[in-house]
Amino acid sequence: MDPDFRGDSDHHDGTSDATPGGYPKQRRPGELGFAIFLTVASLYLLYDAYGISGFTALSGAGSIPMATTFVMAVTALIVGLRTARLNKVAGETIANDILPVMVILFIGFLIVFGLLLKPLGFVLTAALFLTVSIKVLAHKGWGYTLAVSLGSLVVIWIIFRVVFTVLLPAGILPEAEFIQFFRNLFSGGAS
Amino acid sequence: METLMAILTIFTQPQLLLLVGIGTFAGIYIGAIPGLSVTMAVSILISFTFSWDVLPAISLMVGIYMGGVYGGSRTAILLNIPGAPSAIATAMDGYPMAKKGEAGQAIGVTTVMSFFGGLIGILVLALAAPFVSEFALTFQPRDYMLLAVLGILLVGSLSSGSLVKGIFAGAFGIAIGAVGRDPLTFAERFTFDLRLMEGGISFIAVMIGMFGVSEALQQLQNVNMKAVRQKIDKIVPSFGTIKKFLPLSLQTSSIGVIIGALPGTGGDIAALMAYDHAKRVTKNPEVPFGEGAMEGLVAPETANNAAVGGAFIPMMTLGIPGDAVTAIMIGALFIHGLNPGPMLMIDQPDMFWFIVGALMTANVFMLIFGLTGIKIFTKIVEMPRSIIIPLILLLSIVGAYAVNNSITDVYWMLGFGVFGYFMRHYGYPLGPVILGVILSRLLDDNWRRAIISEREDLGRFFEGIFTSPLSLVLFISVILIFVSQTPLWTSMKKRLFRKATS
Repeated sequence: MDPDFRGDSDHHDGTSDATPGGYPKQRRPGELGFAIFLTVASLYLLYDAYGISGFTALSGAGSIPMATTFVMAVTALIVGLRTARLNKVAGETIANDILPVMVILFIGFLIVFGLLLKPLGFVLTAALFLTVSIKVLAHKGWGYTLAVSLGSLVVIWIIFRVVFTVLLPAGILPEAEFIQFFRNLFSGGAS
Repeated sequence: METLMAILTIFTQPQLLLLVGIGTFAGIYIGAIPGLSVTMAVSILISFTFSWDVLPAISLMVGIYMGGVYGGSRTAILLNIPGAPSAIATAMDGYPMAKKGEAGQAIGVTTVMSFFGGLIGILVLALAAPFVSEFALTFQPRDYMLLAVLGILLVGSLSSGSLVKGIFAGAFGIAIGAVGRDPLTFAERFTFDLRLMEGGISFIAVMIGMFGVSEALQQLQNVNMKAVRQKIDKIVPSFGTIKKFLPLSLQTSSIGVIIGALPGTGGDIAALMAYDHAKRVTKNPEVPFGEGAMEGLVAPETANNAAVGGAFIPMMTLGIPGDAVTAIMIGALFIHGLNPGPMLMIDQPDMFWFIVGALMTANVFMLIFGLTGIKIFTKIVEMPRSIIIPLILLLSIVGAYAVNNSITDVYWMLGFGVFGYFMRHYGYPLGPVILGVILSRLLDDNWRRAIISEREDLGRFFEGIFTSPLSLVLFISVILIFVSQTPLWTSMKKRLFRKATS
C-alpha cells in the first residue's frame, strides 16, 4: 500500500480504521452538500452559542462554545469552497457508493431496535435483529441463519448478563426468574 | 520497594493476570479481524466494565490495546489488509514476503520485534513519566489549555487528510463536550431548551457511534469480500536474525516512543515515520523495500508497539491522551472516579505503577500468543462479515444502553454513527472529534481559570504566554501548525526547495 494513499481504501480493500476516506483531488457525490450542511449548521450553533452569555465576559460560559463554533463555521466554509472547486469523481453515485440501500436498511433496523428494546426486551429484540440482518447479509438458508444468530445471542447474553452483569431491559420474557432458576439449581447442587 | 510491589500487584491477583491475558488474546484477534478496531473494542468495553473495580477494568483494556496494536500486522502480512491503522506500513513489505511463501518468518520477526518495541516503550514510560509529572506541576492553566489545543491540532494534521477538516472535527468534538448545563455558572449550553440535553451527551454514546456503528455501516459495502488462505510453517525466528536488526529496532523504537508521547499522535503515524526512517538508513537491504525487506517489517512493528508506552506518558502525567485509545481510557478512569493528571501520579502512584505492570504483562502475553496458535488464528480471521457486522451493531447498542440504562443514549449513538459514516466517506478524520469531546472540559476550565487569574485582560494573558518559556513553545507550535497549512507557507516551501535543487 502506498503510505501517502488517503483515498477510499476502506471501500476497495476492506481495511478498517479511523482513517478517513475521500479523495484529495476529487469531489465525491454529496460531498459539497455535506460541507454546505456543516457550514449552515455551524453558523446556527454559533448563533446559539452567542445566546449563552454573549460578549459579557471572556470567562463566561459561552466563550469556548462561541470560539469553537466560530472555528467550525470558518473551517466548514473553507472546506466547502475547496470542495466546490474540485471535479466530481467519475463513476460514483450517491445510491451506489455513499448511501446504498443496504446502509439505509440497517439504519432502519437500528431505529426499530431502539423502539422495540423496552417493550419487547433485549433477548427477543436482539434475536429478531440478528436473524433478520444475518439473513439479509449472508444469503443463506433459514437453518444456517437461525443457528448462527441464536447461537451467538446465547454467547452474548451469557457474557454480558452473567459475566459483565449488564442490566438489559427484560421486556416480556421472565428473564430474572430464569436466572434465579439456574442460581437455585447450582446452589442446590452445591449444598 | 513499594513501587516494585505496585508493579507486581498484577501477579498477586490471579484474576487480574487472567484478565490481562484474555485482553491480549482478544486484542490480537480484534486487531487482526478487519472491521474490528481496538478503538471500537475499548470504547464498547468501557460501558461493560464500568460496574467493575478499576483494576480489572484497566487490566482488560491494557491487554486489548497491547494485543490489538500487534494483531493488525497479522492480516497485513497474510492478506495485505491492515487490521488496524498502525499496521498500514507493515503491509508494504509483509505481504510481498507472504507471497513468496515466507509468511511464517514474517510473522515471527514481527512478533519478536513488537515485543521488543513494546518493552522499550514501557521502560521509557516508567522512567520518564515521574519526571514529566513533576514538571507538569509547574504548568499554568494556560499551558493546559494550549496543550489541549495542540493535541487536537496534531491529530488533525498528522493523521491523514486535510488539516482544515481535522480542525473542524476537533472543534466539533469540543462543542459536543460543552453540551448541557455549564458546571460553573449553570447556564444552559446548546440544549435548545430540551430537558434531555441538560445532562449533556454521553461521550460513550458518541464514541461507540463514531467508531462502532459508522465502521460497521461502512463495512456493509464489503460484505462479500473473501479472505485468501495462506500456508504458514515455522514462525519462531532465529537468534541471528534478531541480533541483526537490533540496532535498527532501537532507533525505530525511539521514534515510536516519541511520536506516541506527543499528545494526539499514535501508533499509525509512528509506524509510517519509522518505515520511512528505515528506508533512509538502510543502505543496502538484502531485498529492496516494498518487495519483502525484513527492515520494512522491523521498523513499523517496533515503532507502533513502542508508541503504546509513549501514549501513556501524556495520559498519565497531564491527563491529555496520546491517541484515540488512551483518550477512551481517560474516559474510563473518569468513570471510575480517577482524574488522570499530575495529581494522580502524586496521590496514587500505585495506579501508575499498576498500569506499567499490566502493560509489561500484556507485552509478554503478546509474545506468547503471537508465536503460538497460528492455525486457529487463520480460521477465526476468516469469519464472514455477514456475521461480524450484525454482532458489532448489537454490541454497540448494548454498550450505549448499558452505561445509563437509557434508550436516548442508543439514539445518540445511532445519530453520531450515521454522522460519522458521512464524515468517513468525505475524508473528515474521526480521531479529533473524540479528543475534542474528552478534552472539552479541560480546555474550558483552564481557559476560564487562566483568563480570570489575568482579570479578564487579554493583553495580560498574552503577556503571560510570552514571558513563560513553556507557554511560548506551546503557543508557537500551535501557530506553526496553522501556518503550515496556509498558501503562503506552501509557496515559501516551494521556493526553498527550488533553491535547494538548483
